[in-house]
Amino acid sequence: MKPAGNVSLSKLDRIRKHRNMTTNQDYREIRVEEYVVEEEPFYVPSSDEIEVFEAAYRQRVPVLLKGPTGTGKTRFVEYMSWRIGKMVGAESAPKSENVPANGHLPLVTVACHEDLTASDLVGRYLLDSTGTRWIDGPLTRAVKAGGICYLDEVVEARKDTTVIIHPLTDHRRTLTIDKLGDVIEASDGFLLVVSYNPGYQNAMKDLKHSTRQRFVALEFDFPDEEREAQIIAHESGVDENNAELLARLGAKIRNLREHGLEEGASTRVLIYAGRLIKEGISARRACQVGVTWGITDDPQIQRSIDEVVSSIFP
Amino acid sequence: MSDQGSGTPGDDNGSSASDAPKLTVSQIETELEQFPSPVAERFRLASSALSGRLADETLQEWAATGLEISRKTVRSWEAASEYFDASAAVQRQLPSGQFLRWGRTGSSLCADSPSLAVAYFKASPAAMLRLRPRYIDDWASVTRALYRGTWKSSALAARLFESTPMLLETLSFDEFCSFGGFLEVLSRRSYDSASDSLTAGVELFPRLGSDADHFIALARSISESSWRDVKDLFDAASDSLAELPSAHRVALLSLARRLNAMGSTESSGLLRAGAKAVASVPADEREKLLELTDRLASVHASAAPEFLKSAPGVLERVTFAQLAEWHSRGAQISQENPDSAVSYFKLESAAASETLDALSSSIELTRVRDVLRMYCQALTGHAMEVSATQQLADKGIGWFQGELPTTEGTTVYLPSVINRYLTKEDNFAFYKVVSTHQVGHIEFGSFSFTFGKPSTLFDDLRPDLPGAQRLVEEIAADAQIQQQMELAQSPEAKQQLSELRGSAAASTGEADAAESADVPEQREFLTDMSRFFDLFPDNKLALDVFTVVESTRIDALVTEAYRGISEMYGKVQESALENRPELDELPARESIVEFLIRWSLGQRDGLIAPSEHLESARKVRRLLDRMKSPEATVEDAAEATIRIYSILENVRNEDVDEDEFESVDPDEQSEEGEDEQGGDEEVNRDDVIQQFMQGAEAQAGEDGESADGQDSEDETEGDLPAEEDYSSPQEIDYRGEFKPELSQLLSQLQFGEGGEMGEEIEGMEPISQEQLEELMKNAPEMDMQNAQEGEGEQEAPDTDELIENLMKELQKRDPQNQQFQQGPMQHVDEDGGPLEASEPNTFTYDEWDFRAGEYKPRWCLVHEKEMADGEPNFFRETLMDNSSLLARIRKQFELVVPEQYRKQKRLEDGEEQDLDAVLEAVIDMKIGVSPDEKVYWRRNKTERSVSVAFLLDMSASTAEAIDEAKKPSDDWGAPDDPVEYMVWLRSRRAEGLRRSYKRIVDVEKEGIVLLVNALETLGDSYGIYGFSGYGRENVEYYVIKDIEEKFSDRVPKRIDRIAPLHATRMGPAIRHTAAKLAEVDARSRFLFLISDGRPQDRGYSREGVEKEYAVHDTRQALIEAKQNGITPFCLTVDKSGHDYLKTMMEDFSYEVLPDITMLPARLPQLYRALTT
Repeated sequence: MKPAGNVSLSKLDRIRKHRNMTTNQDYREIRVEEYVVEEEPFYVPSSDEIEVFEAAYRQRVPVLLKGPTGTGKTRFVEYMSWRIGKMVGAESAPKSENVPANGHLPLVTVACHEDLTASDLVGRYLLDSTGTRWIDGPLTRAVKAGGICYLDEVVEARKDTTVIIHPLTDHRRTLTIDKLGDVIEASDGFLLVVSYNPGYQNAMKDLKHSTRQRFVALEFDFPDEEREAQIIAHESGVDENNAELLARLGAKIRNLREHGLEEGASTRVLIYAGRLIKEGISARRACQVGVTWGITDDPQIQRSIDEVVSSIFP
Repeated sequence: MSDQGSGTPGDDNGSSASDAPKLTVSQIETELEQFPSPVAERFRLASSALSGRLADETLQEWAATGLEISRKTVRSWEAASEYFDASAAVQRQLPSGQFLRWGRTGSSLCADSPSLAVAYFKASPAAMLRLRPRYIDDWASVTRALYRGTWKSSALAARLFESTPMLLETLSFDEFCSFGGFLEVLSRRSYDSASDSLTAGVELFPRLGSDADHFIALARSISESSWRDVKDLFDAASDSLAELPSAHRVALLSLARRLNAMGSTESSGLLRAGAKAVASVPADEREKLLELTDRLASVHASAAPEFLKSAPGVLERVTFAQLAEWHSRGAQISQENPDSAVSYFKLESAAASETLDALSSSIELTRVRDVLRMYCQALTGHAMEVSATQQLADKGIGWFQGELPTTEGTTVYLPSVINRYLTKEDNFAFYKVVSTHQVGHIEFGSFSFTFGKPSTLFDDLRPDLPGAQRLVEEIAADAQIQQQMELAQSPEAKQQLSELRGSAAASTGEADAAESADVPEQREFLTDMSRFFDLFPDNKLALDVFTVVESTRIDALVTEAYRGISEMYGKVQESALENRPELDELPARESIVEFLIRWSLGQRDGLIAPSEHLESARKVRRLLDRMKSPEATVEDAAEATIRIYSILENVRNEDVDEDEFESVDPDEQSEEGEDEQGGDEEVNRDDVIQQFMQGAEAQAGEDGESADGQDSEDETEGDLPAEEDYSSPQEIDYRGEFKPELSQLLSQLQFGEGGEMGEEIEGMEPISQEQLEELMKNAPEMDMQNAQEGEGEQEAPDTDELIENLMKELQKRDPQNQQFQQGPMQHVDEDGGPLEASEPNTFTYDEWDFRAGEYKPRWCLVHEKEMADGEPNFFRETLMDNSSLLARIRKQFELVVPEQYRKQKRLEDGEEQDLDAVLEAVIDMKIGVSPDEKVYWRRNKTERSVSVAFLLDMSASTAEAIDEAKKPSDDWGAPDDPVEYMVWLRSRRAEGLRRSYKRIVDVEKEGIVLLVNALETLGDSYGIYGFSGYGRENVEYYVIKDIEEKFSDRVPKRIDRIAPLHATRMGPAIRHTAAKLAEVDARSRFLFLISDGRPQDRGYSREGVEKEYAVHDTRQALIEAKQNGITPFCLTVDKSGHDYLKTMMEDFSYEVLPDITMLPARLPQLYRALTT
């Protein structure tokens, strides 16, 4: 690297100063495998998915969550990790010492993207001044720590990731790290959960059968109006009336799926709109920026949705 | 007069008269005796009349002229006789000199044709009243000019003489002369036409008054330029000009004349359009309108008539000031591009409608259709369509209004234009209110009425009514199921249900026996709605009540669910109230129905009802208000209908005096309305049942004469005043035509739902003709219609026709039926229906109709053929001729390849360590600095995955020669092999015979050849297709190389056969190509369209609208391709391509080649740019 010049030094100084100024640390740094959900996440079940997941976890059967974006897949995993963690804690007899002492179940979440390779999951050698140093990837850490590893939007990841997923999802429950020549037997608490959105309808982005048949699948869809209003009200803090209207809007917009919209409005965007409303933005405007413009770029559809918005919101 | 005249006798002596020795008058008389008797008789009469008034000498000369005339020819005695006949009258008008001259003029006419003279003399007495004496000669000569010695010409001239008195009543003599001149010119072309014009003129001129000269001048110039239009001109003038004020008439006429001088042949059209336009403008704007036209005429002669034609239509949408603005914008545009003027003012260009749209506050359905469609879709969750109301009326399946909005369950029909409010926003909001109400019927289940389903607010009466008796068991079975279904959800419902069953069983016991005997035939109902309406003796009244009740329910639900539009909703309801008939002018029953409607529209104050029926009004109002509960279902609406009906039936529909009306206090209701829940306070159950029972009996007694059972029963109580026939209330604009029965029938097929009947239908064979007839006969909707038709002027729609249409419609809707629909004929004209791809390798595609904003289903038939093999030489020669270009292209393409496989270095992770980077990192470590971690390299894994289809325009226009400096014909290309040489020579020779120039298609081919060669090095998969055809049923599609096909010897051979064929229907060709591309598995897909001009085909690209039609369809096809992930690109050699390509390729890439010869070089460049 370049020798540090004056400019760089002063830059460093600035950084140091800045650090000193902000001593009141308002963030927490947690290692990936130590992250546990401590507060109960708000989750409204739509049917028996909680029982099914619990059963799957007890049997350590990997779970696949299907459903369009914003239907609460991630929230469900968080909730389940909290719930199971609590139960494990309550039993106070962890089946494995790898389960953290507080009884909670670690949750390792990896958002998959197009360039995510196997080594991003498993780990890689890093260079440092003394040579190379191995560093575990998030999957490896979860396997070791015995938590839930949640691969969000798994189809986005590169194909080589499937190779390492497979042995983890069957009876073997092992992770092979070929660069180290190691095989890790998963800790008892470990469970692989993946999610994918079949809505893309893209042959390239479909889950291979050899992969998908290793999971039990839970389907997620948008909640019904009543439940959704409840969720919106809770998550955004908006009043009940507006929450109901937002839920109605969501249902109406979802009617346009397959008729111009690729995806309906997710509960998430409705919640965002609700938050804006709570902040004093007018309802129609909040829906425009929070919902309409977010979900489509087609001016015609935007106009149509705006009309629905203006019909629903006074 | 006469004494003055005697002073100047015979200053111009007739030559013939002086030849003979002067005879005395009496001698002349004797001479005249030799002619047929009328001559002498008339002479004697005339001479006795004249003798006192004329000097002897003059008299003698007069007589001599007569004799002379008689002697002229065999038949001239007739003329003489007319001469004598007219003389007395004529003489009174003329001084003697001129009188004699008149005679001599006649005499010389007689020399030409006695019949001419006859006409002349006959017309003279009347003509002289209007004709100055000095013009007599001119008069004669103008008229005589028409005479050319033929029978027809003499008849014409004679007719002109005859008509002269009438013509001169309005025409000045000058005008008369020019009219004569006009006739003369015209008669050279056609005597018939001239004669017609004369007749028309006689009638027309009095109506034109003093402006006839302008008209004659116009007629004359038209007779010179295009005489055939003269007749139409006269027609147009008499149709439209006569009504106009003079000033505008003159302006129009002179405008027409000017345009005619500039070569326009549209004069009569102009007059008609002008008159119409002027009439459509307020009086004070008329001048301005003509001035605008005038101004336009001076720049674009042919645009002016179009402007006038469009003006009334435009004025329906905008104010006059805005029209002027629209005009000036058009004038400006036309200045920039003179060619566009006509289409602008014809309202065919996009600019014209855009400008107009920006100016007007009215909203056209076509513009907002897509938005509304999605809006409706969003609200209902069904695939909805939005259409103009007229289209439903045109279908002829039971809706006839063509103006009122409605829905039949799958499509919302709306008026095509809304111009009720001052702003676009409000007009659009009206559309929205209407659509929301209409889809409300779908969203809130108006059409999913199930007879046996219990209501939520009422103690159900339906199962207990006589009409439903025989269905009790069936319903009970249904209810059982329902009960079980609802068991889990609502215990209340269950309880209600069991109560219902109990009461039904109790009250029907005795009725059952009587009923089963009375009802001979078991009727089957197509829909639950029909079954419901069948309960009522007067189902027309029932429908009206149901309409109000159901609409009230929908309104309440809509305004509750969509609070955002409730304000506008209220506004619309308010304005609907404005046009309601006065309550006190209606007979009692109707006034209460009207009272309900007003109440449902939100009127509270000033409501009145007949004093006698005040309590009934309150009751029905209370029932109606229950519909506003959010729990109310369509079944509740039905129950309320039964109750309201039973109340209304007791209200005799008699005229009530104004002062017998009493106001209904709006507040009273709300107090009472609060506390009643679920019970039947308004009506007594048993009474209602009893009432219906009687009604049914009366009906049965009348042998099922459906509607009037109740009325006839009333009539038996003779002492009461006459009852008015009940007529349905006036429709409410936003609620429109509500036809629940038909809609249920149509929509239950579509959605496969709709209760028990729906299920039956699915299991059953399709609805039969008889069933439909039954429905038609009994449906109150149809009843109502017939009643209206009876009053109205139009002929009642033929029931058979209606049923037929309905059958078709049903067939269309039944998804299972679809494929069995009979395939229409192979060759159909443009007005025909969809086509069927019955032969192998034929494909049908929809076509986009931009005017209607919808697809014409299966409109085009694509015949895919493999291109026949030609000679391989073309390919070879092209490669040889362009070897240097080819080398260049190859090099370019080779550059593309390594780009794809180049290593990506300095990555955090990859296939291998990059040695350079590792070394650097190691050095860094040795130094003690943290090394860069990016030491890996990786191959770019995104392999090139390109699939492209080239679509070649093989239309006839590609045969056009391109001027190119002739290449020296070289024989270097001759092959060495003797066999090949012979082939080569033959083809050379054949080519030499055919042509020695290059055509557009040849250049296209060259480009393809070079590209193919380059593509093979690149490894992209590609297809080459050509298209042409004529008509929509013959789109020819030639496969030169399929995308998946490997390059072989045959490909060059096929390329050779690419040749100009027929027309260019681009849309289906693009769609077919896109379909092929869609099957290919490639990351990027391209459609490369190479054409030489705008799309055109029979019925695809005629003048005017059609031209745009083709462009829009092509554009739509490209949009479809794009939606399928295909990138379209258009390369055209049409230099004038920019204008339409801008529309056609909006949002897409295209290039217009300035020089066709650039194509072979440019094509590969473009390809490379596009795909990398």
